[in-house]
Amino acid sequence: MTSLRSEGRDVVVTGLGVTTAVGQGKDAFVAALLEGRHAFGSMQRPGRLPPAPSTDATAAFLGAEMEEPSLPGSIAARSVRTASLSARAALATLHEAWHEAGLDEADPFRIGLVVGGSNVQQRELTLLHARHADRPEFLRPTYGMGFMDSDLCGFCTEQFPIRGFAHTLGGASASGLLAVLQAVRAVQSGEVDVCIALGALMDLSYWECLAFRAMGAMGSARWADDPAAACRPFDRGHDGFVFGEACAAVVVERADGRRHPAPYARFRGGGRALDGTRNPHPSVEGEVAVVQAALREAGLSASAIDYVNPHGTGSPTGDAVELQALARCGLDHARINATKSITGHGLTAAGALEIVATLLQMREGKLHPTRNLVDPLDETFPWVREKAEDCAVRTAVSLSMGFGGVSAAICLEKC
Amino acid sequence: MPDTRVFDLIVEHTREVVPELEGHRFAPSDSLRDLGANSIDRAEIIVMTLESLSVSIPLVELADAKNMGELADLIHDKSAV
Repeated sequence: MTSLRSEGRDVVVTGLGVTTAVGQGKDAFVAALLEGRHAFGSMQRPGRLPPAPSTDATAAFLGAEMEEPSLPGSIAARSVRTASLSARAALATLHEAWHEAGLDEADPFRIGLVVGGSNVQQRELTLLHARHADRPEFLRPTYGMGFMDSDLCGFCTEQFPIRGFAHTLGGASASGLLAVLQAVRAVQSGEVDVCIALGALMDLSYWECLAFRAMGAMGSARWADDPAAACRPFDRGHDGFVFGEACAAVVVERADGRRHPAPYARFRGGGRALDGTRNPHPSVEGEVAVVQAALREAGLSASAIDYVNPHGTGSPTGDAVELQALARCGLDHARINATKSITGHGLTAAGALEIVATLLQMREGKLHPTRNLVDPLDETFPWVREKAEDCAVRTAVSLSMGFGGVSAAICLEKC
Repeated sequence: MPDTRVFDLIVEHTREVVPELEGHRFAPSDSLRDLGANSIDRAEIIVMTLESLSVSIPLVELADAKNMGELADLIHDKSAV
């Protein structure tokens, strides 16, 4: 099999951007990660509070909400007026990644953008529908553009000179990782020289929260009185995921293209697979398949992997299946933590956010703690638990899974 | 014009939609298009103005206005405010 890498199509990561509830920008984010500082509480955004009258079944939803994304002055107030929270977070996050990668120097026609996520603006749509329910004749014309997720592509390409291509990519909670893989493939194929993958902020309304709770996916009735304890991936006390607002951007480009002083990492391999179901349940087979595909493309054995950044949402089934899959792949020797224990589950943003977390930890030479990991499902994994630890990570694997039987994995190596 | 209320509302919403015009001194002879409002901006300004007045007029009936003054007069006449 011909390797794309051997043809000079090595792909490296040259820029990262991140906006979360625990910090905006890489410096604040990595500091929060290493300190294990969370922002969980009872969610308060308009359109996300349970509808009255409140009963046990509609008690406020637990989660982590971000501060208003800090937009650079270069972004016109005129654009921001009708930008959704998802779009504002995208612009702030892309701005950070864009400037780190120095993309003002790149040919706009050789830059692409993949926005990971679909149905990401639900809360704002819910508010708009409520506002205009009894006066539809005054619905704003901009709704005709704004209701589409691809509006994020419009905002981003209006503010940043991206002229290659831009589109969204939906894969439920795997969207962010799938966007990064798609960006890598677009560079490897030669379609563009640089591609930005953006894990979009999925802005849940109370409708989605109610449904996630009703289907048993979202915690946490068990920890309703103790929001700080609710998000506990891989702990026996887990009872579902806890939402955390986030947006993350990853810039990938040809290693033999523009000279970049200090790429974060080299892409080594990726894998995608389907279980053939519309259900939310994960499968060991699907997860094993994507990890093995990523390692095969990387030309690495499992024993060569130093660190695993798992999907680890806090779902009882999902956590157990993932550990089985990692063990079956021979990755139970690699250091492991759970980023969602700090950030919450970013849903469409999660895959990109966790790649950012992986690369920042690689650069720091430290691994962040796993919050609330008191009684691990499997003690034999070398968890990073209460405190951050020094660890020289050269190679890492990150996984993302999504409803509808989606599994995905990526393998990265420090440059 | 005896009643500047409609014109003032158009100005207010124009400043909201096109913040760059914050310091501009609006005159009835100003054209929204010439001031940099694109077709979506103009539709947005008109719908916001109609909502402020709680009057419903099909946008197509306002399409012939050549400038902000004519637009204000049309809205005024059709809504009998």
